[in-house]
Amino acid sequence: MNAAFIFGLLFALMLTGMPISISLGLTVLTFLFTMTQVPIESVGLKLFTGLDNFQIMAIPFFILAGTFLTRGGVARRMIAFTVSMVGHWPGGLGLAGVGACAMFAAVSGSSVATVVAIGSIIMPAMVDHGFPRRFGAGVIATSGALGILVPPSIILVLYGVSTNSSIGALFIAGIVPGVMLAVMLGTVTWFVARRNDYPRLPRASWAERFRAFRESFWGLALIAIVLGGIYGGIFTPTEAAAIAAVYAFVITVFVYRDLRIVDVPRVLLNAANLSAMLLYIITNAVLFSFLMTSEQIPQAMAAWIIDRQFGVWTFLLVVNIILLMAGNVMDPSSILLIMAPILFPLAMSLHIDPVHLGILMAVNMEVGLCHPPVGLNLYVASGIAKMGISELTVAVLPWLGTMLLFLVMVTYIPQISLWLPHLLGVR
Amino acid sequence: MLRILDRLEETLIATLIGGATLLIFVAVVHRFASGIPLLYPLMQRIDLSWAQELCIYMFVWMAKFGAAYGVRTGIHVGVDVLINNLEASIRRWVVLFGLLCGALFTFVIGTMGAKFVIALMATDQVSPDLELPSWIVYACIPLGSYLMCFRFLQVSWSFIRTGALPHHDPSQVEGIPPAHDAFHPEGVVR
Repeated sequence: MNAAFIFGLLFALMLTGMPISISLGLTVLTFLFTMTQVPIESVGLKLFTGLDNFQIMAIPFFILAGTFLTRGGVARRMIAFTVSMVGHWPGGLGLAGVGACAMFAAVSGSSVATVVAIGSIIMPAMVDHGFPRRFGAGVIATSGALGILVPPSIILVLYGVSTNSSIGALFIAGIVPGVMLAVMLGTVTWFVARRNDYPRLPRASWAERFRAFRESFWGLALIAIVLGGIYGGIFTPTEAAAIAAVYAFVITVFVYRDLRIVDVPRVLLNAANLSAMLLYIITNAVLFSFLMTSEQIPQAMAAWIIDRQFGVWTFLLVVNIILLMAGNVMDPSSILLIMAPILFPLAMSLHIDPVHLGILMAVNMEVGLCHPPVGLNLYVASGIAKMGISELTVAVLPWLGTMLLFLVMVTYIPQISLWLPHLLGVR
Repeated sequence: MLRILDRLEETLIATLIGGATLLIFVAVVHRFASGIPLLYPLMQRIDLSWAQELCIYMFVWMAKFGAAYGVRTGIHVGVDVLINNLEASIRRWVVLFGLLCGALFTFVIGTMGAKFVIALMATDQVSPDLELPSWIVYACIPLGSYLMCFRFLQVSWSFIRTGALPHHDPSQVEGIPPAHDAFHPEGVVR
């Protein structure tokens, strides 16, 4: 009864279009005021203590690093490198786009940043070389989604924080699925390009490839710093994120000179704006999950599931359906912050590995980013490609289908996510 | 007057995020330098154990004031699938309802926070590492929430007058080169 009231109110408030953070907070306040004796003052304190966690601070740091890196130079050199490697294959520029997205995803934690950084450079180039717009936009909108699977990933940090799982293990676990998905998207690109006889570029010599590699080296080194640093136990994910932010500042301002020092305050402001929005959702989601726990809702659901003897198979199917549906109305961070605290105890009662659940949720979020009505990647890509959303929705279908196939694989083959962390012994 | 408040808000959050980044960077460098025997005596004299705590406080402050700034820039995302399909006259009321709920929520939170802070002022409770008086640390809740409430009212007012809402466009990144500056590999073979 209480659960129905809480969710009913939450949905009603959300549908009015008010910020998700506000609807979460108002739901909690209304419920506490009208139906319980929980001291309301504890809520004010929760708004502070909800953020009182050093792990959460990885999010603003990664956002800041991403905001610096989105300024052209790093992305352009990564594209030059992938073009020199695969440009002569069918659909060369498209393949190079997939590769560059995967690389950029490995330095940035966000999907939209990846689409913007890679897309705004490679889209015009593809159009100039006679590729149809829908091909380029389809490749970029979907490959950009790699941003939240390939570590570092803001979504995985959010999952780690809200379920108390190891962020390091989640990052390591994201590598294999990320590379696999990149290869699958690349394969589709290759097939589509070969069938339609899209243009190829001349083969680059090894000397040119080496030069392109050397030029993109500063960006690629960041991957080694973040992952190597976390895995080697040299620093915590949050410290790695802070190092990444300082490093990104140094290479964009002093090495590649994409940004003048006077523009830095604006970058800081943009990053602060985005981080504060996410942190605000987090505080309110913490309130909401506090309410869930005090009303024992996940526990009741877990008991119900065990009672019905749902297998892991059915449970994961239901989880996927719920998440895909949620992906139709909400942005990934909000879905994750609302759903993870609910799904996590259920998954634990079925002995599902927390890391597996995290990767599965991240892949679901990726799919949600690539289809209407709220797929942010689509909107950003449509802005870059100057195409309508409905046209772009059709354009992404081959790649979106591949992503759904990949989702099924990740769901039912836990080894895809767990093999590498187990091999390296990361917990 | 309002312009000064806007600038103050922007400067505060940009400084906080930049400062926190530098702080953690310095703390990590310091830890490394302490591991080098030659530098150890020098480093030992500097105590940075409070860095994590300060970083958290800076980010909580940034989050509270940044959220208020976010109302002004329209970055707080909501579910707009339904309301965008409503008739314009109804949509207007629903949007206004949403904005006023935002103002109500932030006002309630601000008031609760203010009561809490005033209660803390009477005590001499301090934070664990920095030993700052707790009420100063927690003051961000009432200040940030009241500011956010003010921003919601501001946006509602301009929505009533002009019918326009602030809108955040994620594809607009400053410094991204326009198309002509894009990447151009030479020569194409069919």
